[in-house]
Amino acid sequence: MKFAHLADVHLGFQKQEPLQEMERRIFEGVVDRCIAEGVDFVLVCGDLFHVNIPDMRVQKIAMKKFRDMHDAGIPVYAVYGSHDFSPTSSSAIDLLEAAGYLNKVTVPSDDGDLIRLNYVQDKNTGARLAGFSGLKAGRDVEYYERLDREYLESADGFRIFLFHGAVGEMLQDEISGESLPLSYMPRGLDYYAGGHLHTFRNRSFSGYENVVYPGTLFAGQTADMEENARGRGRGFVMVDFGDKVERVRFVEAPGCRYEMVDVDADGLASEEAAARIRSMVDSIDPTGKVVILKAYGELGSGRTADIDFSAIRKGLLQGGAYHVMIHRRGLTSKEYKTRGESTGTREEIERRTFQDSIANVRIKRAALTGHRGVDLSTKLLATLRHPRPDNEKKADYERRVTADATSKMGLE
Amino acid sequence: MSVAGQVVGGGIGDILVRQQSGSRLEVGDLLVSEEENSILILEVFGLQYGSQIDGRVQEMMSGVILEEGPPDAEFYEPNFVNYVMARVKALARVNRDLSVNLPKSLPAFFGKLRIISSEDLKFLQGGGRDRIFIGYIRSGSKVIRDAKVWLDARDIFTHHLLIPATTGRGKSNLVKCILYHLLDSSGVGALVLDAHNEYYGLNGEVGLSSHPDARNSLVYYTPTDPPPGSRHLTISLDTIRPDHFEGIVEFSDAQVRTMRKYYSDYRGEWISQIMLTDLSMLGEAESRRDAETRSITMAVLQQKIRQALDLEVDREQNVVVSRHNVFDSVRGGRTADEVVRNIEEGRVVVLDTSKLNDQAELVVGSIIATRILDHYREAKTRGVLRDKPVATIVIEEAPRVIGEEVLQSRTNNIYSTIAREGRKFKVGLTAITQLSSVIPKAILANMNTKIILGNEMKMERMALIESASQDLSEDDRTIASLDRGEAIITSIFVPFALPIQIPHFEEMAQQRPPPASGTTRMKVF
Repeated sequence: MKFAHLADVHLGFQKQEPLQEMERRIFEGVVDRCIAEGVDFVLVCGDLFHVNIPDMRVQKIAMKKFRDMHDAGIPVYAVYGSHDFSPTSSSAIDLLEAAGYLNKVTVPSDDGDLIRLNYVQDKNTGARLAGFSGLKAGRDVEYYERLDREYLESADGFRIFLFHGAVGEMLQDEISGESLPLSYMPRGLDYYAGGHLHTFRNRSFSGYENVVYPGTLFAGQTADMEENARGRGRGFVMVDFGDKVERVRFVEAPGCRYEMVDVDADGLASEEAAARIRSMVDSIDPTGKVVILKAYGELGSGRTADIDFSAIRKGLLQGGAYHVMIHRRGLTSKEYKTRGESTGTREEIERRTFQDSIANVRIKRAALTGHRGVDLSTKLLATLRHPRPDNEKKADYERRVTADATSKMGLE
Repeated sequence: MSVAGQVVGGGIGDILVRQQSGSRLEVGDLLVSEEENSILILEVFGLQYGSQIDGRVQEMMSGVILEEGPPDAEFYEPNFVNYVMARVKALARVNRDLSVNLPKSLPAFFGKLRIISSEDLKFLQGGGRDRIFIGYIRSGSKVIRDAKVWLDARDIFTHHLLIPATTGRGKSNLVKCILYHLLDSSGVGALVLDAHNEYYGLNGEVGLSSHPDARNSLVYYTPTDPPPGSRHLTISLDTIRPDHFEGIVEFSDAQVRTMRKYYSDYRGEWISQIMLTDLSMLGEAESRRDAETRSITMAVLQQKIRQALDLEVDREQNVVVSRHNVFDSVRGGRTADEVVRNIEEGRVVVLDTSKLNDQAELVVGSIIATRILDHYREAKTRGVLRDKPVATIVIEEAPRVIGEEVLQSRTNNIYSTIAREGRKFKVGLTAITQLSSVIPKAILANMNTKIILGNEMKMERMALIESASQDLSEDDRTIASLDRGEAIITSIFVPFALPIQIPHFEEMAQQRPPPASGTTRMKVF
């Protein structure tokens, strides 16, 4: 028996048409591969979509491929991720569930103070599945604190726990941010199917065998594209199992070809920097590739605007590049210097920015200072981040955002 | 006013007071002399008998009573004739506006003194977000429950804290109380190397985990079977650098050179490379003598690292493994960063080091303390140190790293560096010890707050008295007689040496309401 484990697909993340096309192609290819390999079921551990209600183009892509899996008799089990869920609104995940193409495995029953999760049993294999969705700003920690672990641990059979969140013990190169201790999970299950960390990793710990993140299929944040260009393989996980896990293998999804152009312009005059960029760009063959041009450093003189990035982009496209991405946030000039560090994920940068800003104001209320202040700010930003979707009325949007923000501030 | 005694003589620092009959003064009692616009607080440091009858006559009378006199014989008006004399010293003058000065004059001659009350101690500041409760003011053995001692956590932890005491005097209880209050503050982050795994509170015991805000403010790492919500203490071998051993493990010059060479060549894999080196393959192209020397150096180095970190070499898999699961060649790459981040966010991080040997525990602390100090130095350079909470490293048996012998025989270690210069960067040491006398005077004097518990060893008491922030020269016997839970705080942040009773941790913790979670229904998505 075997199952496929996907996470962090982030359908709808890409904003440029060529990359949207690539995103679609990779996702469809992976689903087709699962069908072709005859997997018994598929796990989706959060962030299938980049936002809870993506545009119709994205929903159509997902609907079609999930229908393909359904028609092939492959059940899909899922939890929400931090991106494709909103506590006050619906999610495209719900649409897939309503269509019968997807099963959510978070099935809680009321047991007083504890949260008891009931297993969902896969009819074909008998595998039992339970899990928690990942909420933004670590709100899911409250779920884990009240989880009736013993109930999940005492069940028989092949048991899988699905989750979406960064488990601290699984972190590698990420700049530390909020993470979940593994000890919150029920012990002794057969497979811990994770989502949220964007690179593949598979580790075992005492009491926790097979803690696995497949990583993103393509990209869910800008840094992913740079990593892709540096040779990071993306894909999903295929698991062979009987009574226990027999084999966990990472299946690389064919992506696109990349060319990374790293330009250190520190101390250069703007004309020198422009010349260096041109020279480096001229030395590559962009044909059919996604070219990522990353310029950084503080210019010795001149302005960043003196460098004609649009002309460079145009030249690369004319040279046959599939797509050109220009990352110049790290490029500053003495005349104008941006604050903040650009390394790390968006969440990490945001947290650092909040930390810096909170430290600069004098507030007496403990809930607004230190890590509590950062947590609250992060939660509020999560609410305010998303623009109004096309299919939501302005009044509904305002009501939803206000209700969510008020709730997060504890002012209900 | 209930009079306890009357000033009858003496001078600055040693005032003689005749005890009122019926009152029973104790060493450590706090007395008050009421003056025009202030009160003077005095402390009893000695008691002796006084009598109007000459000593030889007294002895003669005693002989008469014991040998021949009737059993109920007594002095005529004994309260006038025989009495108790107290030796007291003035501690502080409290003005009407509650400002406190060091007294520079004597109380009125023949002035009447009374036992202190909570009203007299109103100048003690109350609690607050970044203040920690240390205990109740104590007068002799009497505890004044209304007079609570709260100290500014940022002040005392920046300027280092010393907790000296012998076994059984309540050190662990005191540390738990202090850490418990730190959980309410985001102004101080703490790294606690818990060698006895006694602070967190496992198996239903009351501990720091019982704090209502433990979920947000406490992070607990343990090598095996972490309880729900806590984390595996696994530290990647990649994280360790040769300098983390400095002042903890003694290496010869040749061994240090070898370590640095391997670190330079293999960076994060240097320990694995040393441990996996096959001695027979060393120095193939060199002279026999050189090869032997290198082989011996490497063999001793392997042994020292193996012992220090409790490592084993799995020859079949050709990997280095740790006997206690703390050091790992693959996992734990982010642990040190996570710990540092939590401390920099004002949390208390407890590391269960009970399964580690002494050296391994200190190396773990060294890795983290070095990062903290580096981060804070950098923050100072960037001008953002003000934004950071104070960081303190809580270490037991402190002479292991800041003892005279260690510092003379080995190079400086990160703990002694913090003790000497950490204050400039808001990084402090909280040192717990039974042996203050072996800590160099320069370091001892830098520890600007000392919470002195009972100590029967004269040498230890003298080391503390000589390095105290207040004059404790007359308090030798008082310190010796401190009972379990009784303490004296001497600090540059208190107006005078405060005698206190430390609360019982379990009782204190149980008085706080339990965590709010679990009382309301949650919607689970």
